[in-house]
Amino acid sequence: MTKSEIFAVVTGNLREILPELESVSIDPQQSMRDLGANSVDRADVVLQSMERLNVTFPLIEVAKIENLQGLVDFLHAKVNG
Amino acid sequence: MPAAVAVTGLGVLTSIGRGSEAFAAALRRGACGITASNADGLGVAGRLPPFDLGTTLADMRLPEPLLGRALKAGRRAPLSQQASLLTALEAWTQAFGGNTTGAAAASIIVAGNNVAPGYSYRMREKYADNFGVVPASYALHFLDTDQVGILSEVLGIRGEGFTIGGASASGNMGILQAWRQIRYGIADVCVVVGALTDLSPLELQAFRNTGALGGTRYAAQPEEACRPFDRDREGFIYGQGSACLILESAASARARGARVLGYVAGAATCLDANRLSNPSVEGEARAMRLALEQAGLLPDAVNYVNAHATSSLAGDEVEVKALQEVFGPRVSRVAINATKGLTGHCLHAAGVVEAAATLLQMNGRFLHPNRNLRKPIEQTCGFAGESTRDLDIQAALSNSFGFGGINTAVVLTKSGGSM
Repeated sequence: MTKSEIFAVVTGNLREILPELESVSIDPQQSMRDLGANSVDRADVVLQSMERLNVTFPLIEVAKIENLQGLVDFLHAKVNG
Repeated sequence: MPAAVAVTGLGVLTSIGRGSEAFAAALRRGACGITASNADGLGVAGRLPPFDLGTTLADMRLPEPLLGRALKAGRRAPLSQQASLLTALEAWTQAFGGNTTGAAAASIIVAGNNVAPGYSYRMREKYADNFGVVPASYALHFLDTDQVGILSEVLGIRGEGFTIGGASASGNMGILQAWRQIRYGIADVCVVVGALTDLSPLELQAFRNTGALGGTRYAAQPEEACRPFDRDREGFIYGQGSACLILESAASARARGARVLGYVAGAATCLDANRLSNPSVEGEARAMRLALEQAGLLPDAVNYVNAHATSSLAGDEVEVKALQEVFGPRVSRVAINATKGLTGHCLHAAGVVEAAATLLQMNGRFLHPNRNLRKPIEQTCGFAGESTRDLDIQAALSNSFGFGGINTAVVLTKSGGSM
């Protein structure tokens, strides 16, 4: 699975959880917090991504990730690891 | 002197109508919301027609920032929270329009405990094979107090807020507590919401196994299944619904020239020293008398009773005896009907739904029919017939009784007296 595909999964989940982002373009350098996600929304996006990518890891591992690019890189390593 | 308590807003969402206008029209028609289906595991029930929160909020023409806040807090929330949000917003805007400046000092009471086992059941089914990815938001939503949080955030309420339980008497328990909030000056405005009870097939089966739930004999004629006070009744029929009342001190309502829908003149609750499901004539009569005493009214003043009347075998029988005890021979001249015959039993929300039904009949000057009441269990009671008639309700009793010996009654009046 490519990083672009993973980015599409993550942004898809983000838009499902925050429908107001539907017509907003999302840049990989942005953080979920920048895009208006609260801590519960952010956890839900990561958990839904885990489910859809069929990977599991403790949420603490993504706690320090700063932006979507970092999350995609992390998920990419998990999916292909 | 304790404050007189007015009702200045009302919102309803039930199987027979969304919004108070539609609900009032459905009451007047004697509409039936009870249908049969096995697809959702509910069997014979008063189902809420599916709705989309965004579309429904758009139909309500809410002003910003109320609309934006409601969408943000409610769009991913479970059914019961969404229902409460809709009824609370309807009631609030009826009382105050889009103005939420008075909300900071208001209180919120959500009637019902353990309101959504159906939601938990569905989440368990969905994540049974992968508990690890259960949404973090489930930790917020499975709590009944999420309802308090959502309404507080959307309306900007910063006074007291809590849930209160009383099984099927929760709604009246909520009104009682809201009445005390205003009467004793804790708040000038209190939002009381009866939460939609979201049951799973597990709870329904348990109710069936206790003998309380009906719907078996009338599975092929669901509109016949709920028949309060009828000899052929079989048990209560589950109904999905929510309602909200805005209680406000009469002085505050008067000062801002608000439209008053009626008054909560008194309310009371008492126990039976019994943890089981069986009702008690003595306890029910005592709750009605205590509520009338609080209202400063004699039974003679009451010309309408919205009965608890679930269509259960023991419950309806006991309530008739309690009504006979409170009203004596005059019970034949008190108009009595059962809103559950139309909506099914809205459980935690029932007391608020039925207070709303009482106020709507009071304002519309009518008495809604008793659906399916063809062979009354008692001839001496003033039961409404199978068709609607005119009635000028001056003072009403609205009863709710719950498992665990919980008895409640609320007195609603057309005029507010001198207080």
